[in-house]
Amino acid sequence: MGFGIFIVITALLPFVIGQYYLYVVTQVMIYAIATLGLDVLYGRTGQLSLAHASFFGIGAYVAALSNTFGVPVVLQPVLVLGLAVIVGALVAIPTLRLSGLRLALVTLLFGELFVWLIDHASNLTGGSQGMTVQPLTLGPFDSSEPLDGYALAAIASLLATVMCVQLGKTQYGRRMLAVRDSELASASVGIPIVRTKIAAFILSAILAGAAGWIYAYVVGFVSPTTFDLFGSVNFLVAVILGGSGRVLGAWCGALYIVLVPEVFSSIGYPNLFPIVGGAVMIVVAMTIPRGLVGSLEKLGETLWAVRGRRGRAGG
Amino acid sequence: MPEVEPLSSMGGEGRLELRQIGVSFGGVAAVRDVSLVFRPHVITGLVGPNGAGKTTLLNAISGFASVERGTIELDRSELTKLPAAQRAHYGVVRGFQTVRLLEGETAFDNILVGCERASQPNIFAQLFNLPAQRRSWRRDRGAAAEIAERLGISSVAHRPVAELPFATRRLVELARILVVRPKVLLLDEPAAGLNAHGRRQLTETLQAYHAVSPFTMIVIEHDVDLVRRMCSECVALAQGSVIATGDPGHVLDDPEVRRAYFGDQVHHA
Repeated sequence: MGFGIFIVITALLPFVIGQYYLYVVTQVMIYAIATLGLDVLYGRTGQLSLAHASFFGIGAYVAALSNTFGVPVVLQPVLVLGLAVIVGALVAIPTLRLSGLRLALVTLLFGELFVWLIDHASNLTGGSQGMTVQPLTLGPFDSSEPLDGYALAAIASLLATVMCVQLGKTQYGRRMLAVRDSELASASVGIPIVRTKIAAFILSAILAGAAGWIYAYVVGFVSPTTFDLFGSVNFLVAVILGGSGRVLGAWCGALYIVLVPEVFSSIGYPNLFPIVGGAVMIVVAMTIPRGLVGSLEKLGETLWAVRGRRGRAGG
Repeated sequence: MPEVEPLSSMGGEGRLELRQIGVSFGGVAAVRDVSLVFRPHVITGLVGPNGAGKTTLLNAISGFASVERGTIELDRSELTKLPAAQRAHYGVVRGFQTVRLLEGETAFDNILVGCERASQPNIFAQLFNLPAQRRSWRRDRGAAAEIAERLGISSVAHRPVAELPFATRRLVELARILVVRPKVLLLDEPAAGLNAHGRRQLTETLQAYHAVSPFTMIVIEHDVDLVRRMCSECVALAQGSVIATGDPGHVLDDPEVRRAYFGDQVHHA
């Protein structure tokens, strides 16, 4: 039923809101796809990564450079997928030995390497100045048209959401939760821990890459600052604030990291976001470690239990 | 890989043979030259004083401690060099002295984790919910509900395990193991931390399950009465070596076992 509501709202939205807001919603959808990816890796599997924005960037630069190299439209998703699988698996290798903050540091290194590469390949990428992305056209479809970009993001985000909900009902989804919570218990029931972590890295890289690819075409411009450490931390904030391990949480997180900077920009203080965002993060970590969605779930459970008890006492 | 349905009828033989097993930590021998045969479907009690090497032996069988010498065979397959996760796929599954669960998840989801040992469709079928995945999801849910029912924890299946009392958590861990029937079940002091009622409930539940779906079981236990009630074989260890085997009554009354357990002065109650 949830998906039905999603589809109806998505279909009606363009008739209700103006182009600017449609563009913002498109961004929320794109960021939701990438956040779902980090949620698979961090929220479900417990592997802390500070390179998520780099995977987002890989997808974005595939789109940006495809025009330069003349890569046909139909080949580009295959390219994004292939790169995500290969690079995701490469970045996953340290998890064979590392976890927690030490793993995060190694992924941070990879993230920095990515930005360095973009900066230094400036004759291709425009370096830190960034580069414009030629719109994606296929028949009547044109990604620079707000409605077309919106439709692309909507379909992709629906697919990603369905897949992540489905993941919760699968052996791989269970493996991830088990690896996050107890590697000892995982081994005792026969879960291949290393393979599970690598699968999580790859899946998260695919989602981030796909999101980045759409992002570049919708925004029409890419520059390395979107894909640096701050970008990666932003995704982490989205996962934790929304509620890690929860699909709806990833959406709430994406809503936050897109809308709040937008609000600060509109009142003329765009630089306030990092400061206020940091403060919000501290408050969330200390008061609602389960995130928004997790806390609402808990509240719902408690109310339900109280109601049940009253019902029994009364009857 | 096992591939039979329903999951509770999996399992099978379960003859475990240890030949001259030796395990040591930093040059100190914890288990030395242990040779034992555990016959299919028999419940064996493993007794001995603290530091006798009981847990180490269980770890060696389940793959959580590496064996220096000797071999471990299950129904003629050699397990000696396999990591713990692979041994689980052969049907050798252990419980932990301190119950280990997925704390944030419900009891039901914890039980489902045990379906790892049943055959599952490939990752594409899983992610795109293809018919094979739908079948196995139905099968796994059914098996989890069935084992929850049989162990008497259905009423708390939807609750997060962190909220459950210890005795129930122990049963959730057991359900995770038993949701796909093991060939060899290894338990390390399952009754520790339970009161008399909890102990009785646990042994009765285990015995009832074992009577219907038998498997080979090795259980470390200090509660002598529990060993007498539940086990039909008994192995006594002291200082890493086997000092007595056979009928529980016999082994527990053996003078050498009593000396190892209680020291030199033996008081008859």
